[in-house]
Amino acid sequence: MLTLNAGAWSAMVEHARAEYPRECCGVLLGHLDPADEDVRTATVAIPCRNAYDGDQRDRFFIDPGDQLAAQKRARVEDLEVLGFFHSHPDDEAYFSATDLANSWPWYSNVVVSVRNGEVAGAACFRADEERTRADEEQLNLPE
Amino acid sequence: MAKILIPTPLRQYAGGAKEVDVAGATVGEALAALTSAHSDLKKHLYNDEGKLRSFVNVYLNDEDIRYLDRESSAVAEGDTLSIVPSIAGGGR
Repeated sequence: MLTLNAGAWSAMVEHARAEYPRECCGVLLGHLDPADEDVRTATVAIPCRNAYDGDQRDRFFIDPGDQLAAQKRARVEDLEVLGFFHSHPDDEAYFSATDLANSWPWYSNVVVSVRNGEVAGAACFRADEERTRADEEQLNLPE
Repeated sequence: MAKILIPTPLRQYAGGAKEVDVAGATVGEALAALTSAHSDLKKHLYNDEGKLRSFVNVYLNDEDIRYLDRESSAVAEGDTLSIVPSIAGGGR
């Protein structure tokens, strides 16, 4: 289960709208429940550049240098890298075969659907160890 | 000794450690020391041919080792190695 606080969610929404009709992407930082690391709260969403070298309307690539910076920020602020987010412009919030093939297990992956420039929904997914399947993870958005 | 920072998904294969101190004169030696101490990490970092997996990025301090001397890059006392996942995707 991933819970997004208001600040993280608004940063994601703003980035998704600003990048439309291109896919946006970013890193989620937050806390793991000490008793259960499947209970996660994202408190920071870091917008990243889409570094994909091509048509970004249906592809994204998070620059590893941006991720390194996010990892550093997480250590400084005593947070964890919980996962990543990206948008699907004019498409559903689902985990595509491309998403799965280029994901890492364990991380929470939030996909934001953007239609006509406005956020229309979001869902969260986690890939298995072999990247052969992704299960939807409960996503709690702020009220 | 150098320090290797372990990303969250791989900590379960490193005894829960966030970072591991290793000896080694090169990036390759440092990573070998890591996988020697935590053998479960090996298949997550290397493919069957013994090459670093394509979706694994390694940084020596702030530099991607692909732009240095890859696994032959020299590691100095106090250097930090970071394992950074490669993340991409997209709709359709």
